[in-house]
Amino acid sequence: MLRSREECLAVADAVLALVPGGDAEVTVFDSDSSLTRYALNAIHQNVAESSLSLRLRLVAQGRVGVAELRGEAARPERLVATAEEARRLAPVQETLPPLPAADGGSDESDGYSDATALSSPEDRADAVATLTRAAAAASLQAFGAFSAGASQVVIANTRGLRRHARRSTASLSTVMRGDDGAGYADRHAVDIGSIDVRGLADEVIETTLRNQRATVAEPGVYQVVLAPYAVAEMIEYLGYMGLGALARQEGRSFMRPGEQLMSTMVTIGDDAHDPAGMPFPFDWEGVSTRPVTCIRGGVCADFVYDTPTALVDGVASTGHALPMPNTSGPSASHLYAAAGDDDIDTLVGGVENGLYVTRFWYVRDVHTLRTVITGMTREGTFRIEKGRMTTPVRDLRFTQSIVDALSSASGISRTRSPQIGEDDAVVLAPAMRLDRFTFTS
Amino acid sequence: MRDIAERVLDTADSLGASYADCRVVQRRVQVLEVKNGVLVRTTLSEDEGTGIRVIVDGAWGFAGVDRSDAASLDEAVGRAVRIARASARVSVHPVRLAPAVAAVDEYRTPVAVDPFSVPLDRKVELLLRTDEAMGRVAAVTVRQCSLEFVNERRFFASSEGARIDQTIIESGGGLDATATSSDEVQTRSHPNSFGRHQLCAGWEAIEEMGLPDSAERIAGEAAALLTADPCPGGRMTVILDATQAALQVHESCGHPTELDRVLGAEAAFAGTSFLTPDLLGHFRYGSDEVTLTADATSPRGLGTFAYDDEGVSGQRTVLVDRGTFSGYMSSRETAAEFGMPSNGTMRAEDWSRIPLIRMTNVNLEPGTSTLEEMIATTEHGVFLETNRSWSIDDRRLNFQFGTQNGWEIRDGRRVRLVRNAIYSGVTPDFWRSCDAVGNRDEWSMWGVVNCGKGQPGQLMHVGHGAAPCRFRNVNVTSA
Repeated sequence: MLRSREECLAVADAVLALVPGGDAEVTVFDSDSSLTRYALNAIHQNVAESSLSLRLRLVAQGRVGVAELRGEAARPERLVATAEEARRLAPVQETLPPLPAADGGSDESDGYSDATALSSPEDRADAVATLTRAAAAASLQAFGAFSAGASQVVIANTRGLRRHARRSTASLSTVMRGDDGAGYADRHAVDIGSIDVRGLADEVIETTLRNQRATVAEPGVYQVVLAPYAVAEMIEYLGYMGLGALARQEGRSFMRPGEQLMSTMVTIGDDAHDPAGMPFPFDWEGVSTRPVTCIRGGVCADFVYDTPTALVDGVASTGHALPMPNTSGPSASHLYAAAGDDDIDTLVGGVENGLYVTRFWYVRDVHTLRTVITGMTREGTFRIEKGRMTTPVRDLRFTQSIVDALSSASGISRTRSPQIGEDDAVVLAPAMRLDRFTFTS
Repeated sequence: MRDIAERVLDTADSLGASYADCRVVQRRVQVLEVKNGVLVRTTLSEDEGTGIRVIVDGAWGFAGVDRSDAASLDEAVGRAVRIARASARVSVHPVRLAPAVAAVDEYRTPVAVDPFSVPLDRKVELLLRTDEAMGRVAAVTVRQCSLEFVNERRFFASSEGARIDQTIIESGGGLDATATSSDEVQTRSHPNSFGRHQLCAGWEAIEEMGLPDSAERIAGEAAALLTADPCPGGRMTVILDATQAALQVHESCGHPTELDRVLGAEAAFAGTSFLTPDLLGHFRYGSDEVTLTADATSPRGLGTFAYDDEGVSGQRTVLVDRGTFSGYMSSRETAAEFGMPSNGTMRAEDWSRIPLIRMTNVNLEPGTSTLEEMIATTEHGVFLETNRSWSIDDRRLNFQFGTQNGWEIRDGRRVRLVRNAIYSGVTPDFWRSCDAVGNRDEWSMWGVVNCGKGQPGQLMHVGHGAAPCRFRNVNVTSA
């Protein structure tokens, strides 16, 4: 269970009161999370953890030192002493970005639910039992994880900034396997009560039963319909590869502001306030997060900023900082691709001869500047013939430029689902029809 | 630590646990990072907590707690027991553990110079010298270098009587030089990519890396790659440097020989394995040149320890014996399914996570060749250095890797630098095409610090001993 808001703020205040001089920024991170894993229709791992972490950035006389403590060591006196030790030994820097001042932003968000924070292992076991019973009734085996967790963050600094917010996330993912093939589905929500376990079971059972005895499809360039699971991976990689201002400042970004690189249907951005996308009100510097449209109608538009990169470009931070200081630069962690007008049937109906892809697996960047990624399809790839999804095909490897793929977008679904990426980035993704997508083996 | 563990075990027993173990972990980490001449990070971190694992009603429960007062510990044990009882509601058969010796022992990573005893200013000076050397190459626009040191003390106790106190010390470092032009970005790294190379060793490991001495050469290679020709495509001979061979071993041998994957425990996330039990002892995984081991006793590897996180002694297991698939990495639970003892590969990222089967040091054993011999006896191919991109399917068969650097070989000689090289294949076909592995003089231990597995996710530090090796008839292309 999380500590009280007042307790966490008091810890932050106690730390700042001990700071010997100069500027300081303290972060209090309190978390409590649980996860139930199941395989072969039985729970095989079931865990919970709780912890309080403290982080202090000290800036004085041109020197910066950082201390991070978790657990028994996480006490204000020790934190300040450790950060001061790091600061004292650091070399002097001629220019240092200032700590941000309070910007008047609200700490309110729709990103927290008591029901999630207080959910029990019995609740999770019951949900898993629903899935495993449904799997067994369909002669399938269920594998997956059901997690529920809550956290709260306090960020305060010596320039008067003092922020607090809570968040919660519940995630249920399932793979079901038959004799010769598998299916996948997941759900993510702020409120665990909104996860439709039965609906998830129905979706994954349908995909699994359809995806049996797949045959080989030849590598080549196909028209594809990507489910939101697959689209989310592409959008997450696009964010990592070039939507942050530092990537542009260092010449590593594919973005060319003002230039049309993608289909006019494609709009991509970051909005940490969208209730559908696990909202959170501020970044790791305590700066209020503002919505940013990075690709507008296929045209490169804006970047996400933190304080140091904003200073370089003479603009205001958009509130996308990672814990400072860092070498990674700002991060778009609440990404979205705008919805379109189609439903899945319409998207599939527009394909004469192509493939439907449920999800990608082990995606990695191959060439960042050209946004080339590679990965495999997994748990549900199907032929589309004359506008209908037909037979399953074996998993394929793709090697594809994301920008080139999105330049061929010809349809986008009106419904979207939130996905959580490898680095906990949230992506609100629709399904998409892309007219050119390259499978290499 | 011992008092914490004894209280946890007593409480678990009183609450009805048929088995309990406890890891009390204290971890100190020091990170220094320089970017473009500025010391961006000087971070000192400490982490302390206790992981409690119990079996109740034949099912597992786990709780991690960051406080060590009696009330917090009792509450955490109660939480683990309650979780185990919930697990039992969706259970097929009770957990069985292979027997293990209840060891009482101590272990400490042997180091010549404790890295925490080296003054910070000396470390900063080394990084700034490294940065300055990279800065002599004008086309290099982003220069990064870093050091990381870890001291982790783990006290393991089990209800079966094990009491094991281990201290693991790691030292890591590396540099990345990124050169940019209007249409290309190229990065070269040393000694390995993805931030750093790391070993279970002291400061001496950092000095051996030669960061300042290598920096200008590596930066020059990044600049040269901007205008290098694209890697030629087609089927050809591929020679991998030791670092890329290490990652090839990691992905295509290490992961598929994890027995929990084979038995389905990771099917929903990391995947399964093509190395199913019916193949054990006769499947032709590779050529006669290929012998692979999981060896927690290899000196200086990131998977080197005396006992795993179930209290089983670290040991050497042959995974592939002269080409034949011959073994798995196991835990007490997975080994019990085969009536065998665990071979000691259960490892947890920290106190807050459960141990999983993880690689120790998965090594490609030395062969008899040398890099120069391999190149001299290659008619047409590429010599590929330092990983840039890696991807493999969920059964560990279909892979594609990219490297930072490539050299085209013609008639036994390196003829030109090439960029954006990619090679791909299917695991057993690839290893069966291996016709040369470097000898002991060319063999070295490499560290991978970002091996992901499990839910919640855990990043493990693992080791790979490897030497340059050669493969015939490989599919090669350019990104």
